[in-house]
Amino acid sequence: MSDLASGARPAVSQTIVFDAVGVEREGRRALDGISLRLAERRIGVVGLNGSGKSTLLRAIIGLVPPTAGRITVDGRDAVAEARAVRSTTGLLFQNPDDQIVFPIVAEDLAFGLKNHGWGRAETRDRVAAALDRLGIGDLSARRIHELSGGEKQLVALAGLLAIAPKTLLFDEPTSQLDLRNRNRLVRVLDGLPEQAIVVSHDLDLLVDFERVIVLEDGRVAFDGRAADALAFHRGRWA
Amino acid sequence: MIDGLGTTGTSPLHRLAPGPKLAALAAIATALFFLDDARGLVVAAIAALALLRSTGRSFGRIARDLALPIAVIAAVGLADLVFVDAATAAQVVPRLLALAFLAHAVVTTTSSAALLDTFERALMPFERLGLIDAARASLTLSLALRFVPLIVEEAAEIRAAQAARGLGSHPIAVIVPLVVRTLVRAERVAEAIDARGFPPPRNSNTSRREFVSEATTGNDHPHEHP
Amino acid sequence: MNTRDIGYVALFAALIVALGIVPAIPLAAGVPITLQSLGVMLAGLILGPKRGALAPIVVIALVALGLPVLSGGRGGVGVFTGPTAGFLFGWVAGAFVAGFLAQVLDQRADGFVKRAVLLSLAAILGGIVVVYLGGILWLAFFTKLGLTKAFTVSLPFIPGDLAKAVVAALVTVKVRDALSIERK
Repeated sequence: MSDLASGARPAVSQTIVFDAVGVEREGRRALDGISLRLAERRIGVVGLNGSGKSTLLRAIIGLVPPTAGRITVDGRDAVAEARAVRSTTGLLFQNPDDQIVFPIVAEDLAFGLKNHGWGRAETRDRVAAALDRLGIGDLSARRIHELSGGEKQLVALAGLLAIAPKTLLFDEPTSQLDLRNRNRLVRVLDGLPEQAIVVSHDLDLLVDFERVIVLEDGRVAFDGRAADALAFHRGRWA
Repeated sequence: MIDGLGTTGTSPLHRLAPGPKLAALAAIATALFFLDDARGLVVAAIAALALLRSTGRSFGRIARDLALPIAVIAAVGLADLVFVDAATAAQVVPRLLALAFLAHAVVTTTSSAALLDTFERALMPFERLGLIDAARASLTLSLALRFVPLIVEEAAEIRAAQAARGLGSHPIAVIVPLVVRTLVRAERVAEAIDARGFPPPRNSNTSRREFVSEATTGNDHPHEHP
Repeated sequence: MNTRDIGYVALFAALIVALGIVPAIPLAAGVPITLQSLGVMLAGLILGPKRGALAPIVVIALVALGLPVLSGGRGGVGVFTGPTAGFLFGWVAGAFVAGFLAQVLDQRADGFVKRAVLLSLAAILGGIVVVYLGGILWLAFFTKLGLTKAFTVSLPFIPGDLAKAVVAALVTVKVRDALSIERK
């Protein structure tokens, strides 16, 4: 089935391995002794501010190189083969304004495609398909600064989907959204055949996930089913 | 803001490619500096105005567009009159007016997209020599344009917030947070650019034109700036 | 130029453009200071000579593309055929010099007052002396006023720019205390 079709698509995922990973930033251990094998389709990561959640996501695509240990994505090293990893793994930043780079929607989507080597004609098709997939095809020629926060976030997500990744990393996707947009994002997330790893304070978002990891001070404090992990996390800070 | 000053139209000047227009402007501008005859320069100024009018812009519109440059030229004329002599003023004023009219004729009949194309082509030899990286250059330009409206908004927000504390007119209280926010954002955006796979592979034949015009529908028409 | 450099240069160029759009801020004495040239001084003082000079180059490129990015909504190649274009081109060298001096003179370990004074000096030498040099040379040529007269007509703008230089210095110290950015 062509992956340009909006409709039923095969579920995809990658296997992300953290092998005794440590990340030291500004003198403190943002991640410490992390060993994980992430292959499930829906994985949540929770923790307090400063627990290392965002660093974990960034390390997967080599934005933060580990000071100890190694991270691989389907066998590819996150730092040495960052380009390859980034072509199959997209990161949705917390604030879409940090991620949208060109002034017009279609231009911004084209940017991601060009970076990964797609040619002109394919770019046009993929841009349209990605926008349609999220129901925002009509935003194609619009200027970014005229869009609402929720629309910008969908544009940023479309930009990631356009390159056909296998895994999407979400950094606090609902923190800046109002209720309506939050619910829209939840529906989008539900329908994504791609693997999703979601960092979130919004614990309700993760209730149906296959696996939730709780981070505390850069270490894994709990790793298991969503219900158990969330109960653990809530219990710590009741 | 991201629409240039170029407007739609069908005059011959509109249809001329940007390269020749810019080259002609440069050549005529240089020639005007070698012309010292006041009468000749007045003729040149009138011819330039006629050219500008021929692009379809009304005189009223021209007057509004060029109010600021004309005011500056008038001030220059006055300064020449006072500090030098009338003969110099009689030479300088029509020359500067001719330049202003000619340049405006070029600007208003050329879209930013077309200009971008032209500059890209002009820069290609430098790129082959490895002196300029077109992908980085065009990303930098688009990035700057993309963030102007956001920063303007943030400036207004900060000013309002500081005004609530009685500091709305304090330049430092407004500029410091604005600069800090802008730089923090710059760092985050750089991270996102890396995350999205920039730079494109060297061997791919993509150019900025392909980034822009083809991916957008109907957006390389010049628009009128309101 | 790595991605971070691109980010800093582009965002600072956007800041310079934005400062030409926001209304002037009145100083305590009621005289408003227009902010765009202040942005240019800041580019040099904060980002250093090379990146600081690239920011106004980006602005000039945007002007060349016909975009109304200079204060007052000015843009297009007409700017380059006008008598005041020398000040615009002077921004590039001015930011470079201000950045270079800031790199050499500004030490985190120094006290606030010392830093403010040295950075003001950098802003004045780069943001005023160098910029005006370019501006006055161009003006003298374009208007046939001659160097002395061109200098005389530019004189009234200097007090305002001196105030901007001091503001730029103070802003720089505070910004660099909040963030650590190397000067390049």
